[in-house]
Amino acid sequence: MVIKIEHKWGMVVDLDKCTGCNGCVVACQAENNLPINTKDLFMQKRAFEWIRIERYWEGEFPNVKARYLPVMCQHCGNAPCEPVCPVYATYHNDQGLNVQVYNRCVGTRYCINNCTYQVRFFNFWEPTWPERLQNQLNPDVTVRTRGITEKCTFCVQRIRRAEITVERRERTKLNDKTMAARNFMPACVQACPTNALMFGDQNNQEDKIHGYFEELHNHEGHSDSRGYRILEEIGTDPSVIYLKKVDQFKMEHSESHG
Amino acid sequence: MKLTRRNFLAWAGISAMGAVACDVFEDELRVQSPVALPEDLVKGKENWYATLCGTCPNSEGVVVRVVEGRAKKVQGNPNYPTNLGAQSARCDLGLQQLYHPDRISAPLRLNGEKASGRFDSITWSRALDEVSKELSARDGAVAMISPPMRGYSAVIADEFIKAFGGKRIEFESLDLKTYRTAIKNVFGQDIQPHYDIGHAQYVLSFGADFLSTWVSPTQWEVGYGEFRDSDHSKRGIMTHVDSRFSVTASNADRWIPIAPGQEGKLALSIAYVIIEEGLYPSNVDISSLTSGQGLNALAGYSPENIGSQLGTPDNVLGSHSVSELIRTVAREFASHSPAIALGGGTAGASTNGLFNLESIYLLNHLVGSVGKEGGVILNPEPPIKELKGYSNSHTLTDIEELIKDIKASKIKMLFVYNANPVYGSPDWSGLEQVLNSDDLYMVNIGSFVNETNHYADMILPDRNYMEDWGNDIPEPSAGYQTVGVQQPIVNPLSDMDPRSSSDVLLTLAQDSGKDSSLPWRSLEDALKGMSDELFELNRGSVSGTTKQEFWTNLLRQGGWWDKSATGADVSDINGLINKITVKSKDPKLSGNGEFYLVPFLHNSLLDGRNGDIPWAQGTPDPITSVAWQTWIEINDKVADDKGIREGDVIEIRSGAEAIKGIAFVSPAQPPDVISIPLGQGRTVGSAYATDRLDGESANVLNIVENNKIEGTDGLAWAATTVNITNTGTSLRIAKFEGDYESREVGFTEGEELIKTTSPGDHDH
Amino acid sequence: MIPKGNIVAATLVGLIMAGITGFILLVIAISWFSNAPFGLANAPAQPIAFPHTAHAGSVDDGGLGMECEFCHRNVTKGDSATVPALQQCWYCHQKVSGGDEEAQAEIDKLVTAYSDGVPVNWERVHRLPDHVRFVHEAHIRHFTMGDTPETQLEVKEVCTVCHGEVAKMEEVQPKQFQSLKMGTCLDCHRKYDVPTDCTICHK
Repeated sequence: MVIKIEHKWGMVVDLDKCTGCNGCVVACQAENNLPINTKDLFMQKRAFEWIRIERYWEGEFPNVKARYLPVMCQHCGNAPCEPVCPVYATYHNDQGLNVQVYNRCVGTRYCINNCTYQVRFFNFWEPTWPERLQNQLNPDVTVRTRGITEKCTFCVQRIRRAEITVERRERTKLNDKTMAARNFMPACVQACPTNALMFGDQNNQEDKIHGYFEELHNHEGHSDSRGYRILEEIGTDPSVIYLKKVDQFKMEHSESHG
Repeated sequence: MKLTRRNFLAWAGISAMGAVACDVFEDELRVQSPVALPEDLVKGKENWYATLCGTCPNSEGVVVRVVEGRAKKVQGNPNYPTNLGAQSARCDLGLQQLYHPDRISAPLRLNGEKASGRFDSITWSRALDEVSKELSARDGAVAMISPPMRGYSAVIADEFIKAFGGKRIEFESLDLKTYRTAIKNVFGQDIQPHYDIGHAQYVLSFGADFLSTWVSPTQWEVGYGEFRDSDHSKRGIMTHVDSRFSVTASNADRWIPIAPGQEGKLALSIAYVIIEEGLYPSNVDISSLTSGQGLNALAGYSPENIGSQLGTPDNVLGSHSVSELIRTVAREFASHSPAIALGGGTAGASTNGLFNLESIYLLNHLVGSVGKEGGVILNPEPPIKELKGYSNSHTLTDIEELIKDIKASKIKMLFVYNANPVYGSPDWSGLEQVLNSDDLYMVNIGSFVNETNHYADMILPDRNYMEDWGNDIPEPSAGYQTVGVQQPIVNPLSDMDPRSSSDVLLTLAQDSGKDSSLPWRSLEDALKGMSDELFELNRGSVSGTTKQEFWTNLLRQGGWWDKSATGADVSDINGLINKITVKSKDPKLSGNGEFYLVPFLHNSLLDGRNGDIPWAQGTPDPITSVAWQTWIEINDKVADDKGIREGDVIEIRSGAEAIKGIAFVSPAQPPDVISIPLGQGRTVGSAYATDRLDGESANVLNIVENNKIEGTDGLAWAATTVNITNTGTSLRIAKFEGDYESREVGFTEGEELIKTTSPGDHDH
Repeated sequence: MIPKGNIVAATLVGLIMAGITGFILLVIAISWFSNAPFGLANAPAQPIAFPHTAHAGSVDDGGLGMECEFCHRNVTKGDSATVPALQQCWYCHQKVSGGDEEAQAEIDKLVTAYSDGVPVNWERVHRLPDHVRFVHEAHIRHFTMGDTPETQLEVKEVCTVCHGEVAKMEEVQPKQFQSLKMGTCLDCHRKYDVPTDCTICHK
């Protein structure tokens, strides 16, 4: 009777494919009931984007590059946000997800301050939607109230729905294989037009992303592959691998500025 | 938790799903009874329906998640040929359009003077009676303005307007007529070709922001993803020539800045190198292309001659001169096969735009890429005779003709169909004044109030694409015959009374007894007829042993396509180069301002059509990360010289007018270019579109001067020069950059957030 | 003579005691009249009286013995059991009339609502907080397709595990068998060794 699945979810972001189009950003907002980013929220520097595109400049005109970096919660294996929560509202679950339990959260914001990647968002205001727009809200995701910290969940509601759908369809208990059928993806991965985002199970041999994690763990530090994790030097052990941007032509590297 | 969500269904209506369900019987879905129990209600039954997205001009295939009669999420339809499951930043916007608080719910009739903004809500029968009466009184003097339309809604609109003796103008602010004409002249057909970027080794693009807004961006982003498949050693190379640092430029391996209007010369210079150095493949008939003249046909286009005329800096990526750069690009382009050359946007928006685009597309013939996998693939005619595979893009010149006709009382009644031409054309066109005449009866079909229907006599609320039938021949298709089908997946909410605009036109035609060329009772009826025709073809992606079964499967798949029904290369290359070089001209520029003005389509607002939608406004621009405001892109060194800092409100003045916007200082902007996005500067509309401070929002089209493109009469919107002045005030810029940045944490050597590598430095 | 200080202290203590007692009484009063799961109120009044006894009650008890999932037909297919579409009620009740005048009046309400296209706003009886995901279908599957006798029940027997014997209730009463609080869920999940990760239920 035990449903025990040894999953460890992870993501791979190919920086060579990301065009910075923001398709993932809007898809995430629609899926996860993010508050409407009003002009005021931008002015207050409190806009919500569980996944965001950071743009960095490199070089000077005319040899200038804009580098795009999609950043979402890295679901760190050794997450700085977890030990500081006084009420266990954020914890690491058995599938490698960094989970935020909204009804436990009391809004101390310790986790936000401790997050290396600045991917946690605090509801300073009660999020509001005009009455008719509320029809769009996703019933699978809690609407967060004021005073609660929220963040990317790797669309855990889609993972859960997929588990149940697979169970129902197969008329059997889940096993590793059925969940690897890629019958679900987080909204951002599903939206990405260039397939720059890939999602899967780090532990599953057959999964597309497995190789990247394997390689990273085997040749820590001096790998020939493009994979690296952002700010991993800090020791956060993130579950998101970034693949290096390929520069076709060498550019005179000047001081980068943003 | 006290959630307003708890209360939001009190007014909710009967949510019947008029569609065929994926796995539930049809009759079981007809009527569902909503209850005032949000958890139960919003959960309810869940279904995914295939339909076509109506937010972008190129309708992508989408699937929409519907829970208990309410649409929740839009995703790409994985099987649809053009987008293959992908979506852009604009796909989800349809949801907010559907449930927008400011959507017009019932027919509105003008009460009082025109432009007073006072409208009365009336019933449909009264509205249609009045419109019918006006139609018969003004028979023979009726015109319509719509965006480019395809499928049966276009057929119905055309036949309707024809029956009342008028003309339908398909209007876009930044029209594609020049592009279409160039395609026709170079490839010999009206239907746009498919660029098979996914299989290409080299892409050379000019001016077209094809990864963000140009023509069919999602389709090409899918191809771009395959193009950059670095892990399988097939990383294509991309060079982008553009007057501004667009999203496409930022993703190219090499960006070549160029003065607007010089793109054609550069393309012909590349052609010169290819012929001079014999880089073309053996099956390319150079003597035919040049009428036997060989290199002489391009005399004067040697890189050494052209290099200094382009406005391109000398030091692009290590090259020492522009002529060296041209030779490098030409050699790369010819040696990486298959290669694609494509152009549009600013490249086709100077007075010599047609010459530029023809020169660019010519390059495909020179390297033998036409009709080849990984090259330019020509699309076939659609499988249904009644439907065209292309739209008749009209231009501002057609609007100007219409204005004359209205003034001369040749047109006394105007239908404006989901378009906002007053906002979408420069002030000097005079459209606004002419619409403000009491002699003209204007009927607007749309969902929101805007600058155009401000002058309406009657506003008829349209259905959202999720509530209406429709179909589409994707333009361009993916190289084979495709017919997309749109079905109603939700019913309008009970407090909304929109009607399908095609059905309204059919009703009006029937009421006036002019339905002889409109044999359908409704759009659905027309689509069923189309389904039967496709069924008779007995090929393609949809199975079904009976017509009913075929129809059900057609809706389930979201369309019909046949991968074996491909197009053929029909281009006549005889003397093509000679035909192009005779058109060669320098661009004419208006005024002698300090900067070129380069307007561009906003990543999420496009030409302003999505301005009412909060998500569209709140999505940061990829390059600047600005949202909600009009920003002015200016080079950092130039800004330093002029004492302009980010956030300063600056005035941009052309010969036509002046606008104000917020400076965004960019290290990537060419020093001689000012670029401004379209989409803001709305004056009439919902608060999301209009509620701005002075200086935050402006319509760049108003400072575009009246220059026309030779040969197509399109608006040359990249032929204006401007001067700027700092107004001395500054505003907070609403940008996302700096809100949350991972790099703030620590940025030391070896800990770069974005690491780079060279091709071949990695193996995987 | 009692020292003055003591009077003040005694008064204070008395006031505090009275306050606490009042507060407790207030809490009880509020819970008594408010709905489940936080309150103790009984069945809410429905816009149209729907006797489960007459529909789902066994034939011996004078009911029709209908299966629960005949009306709540999404219960074996998806998240929520769903209240049936009005059309479904009407489908039978265009023929089936009420036993007496009172019952017929209720049926008339239904037929009118259907023909006018007016939604009937049923009152919710069992309510879970908004941050909880509960999938009926998965629970039905667990209790009908298991290996032990207590997980090989009929669908209508599974319903009673949480909802009680609804078939015997004239008006559906909340919290007959289970309090529908988190403890209820956890006890059962632990009993059957089902995962208890927060994200299983919390969304």
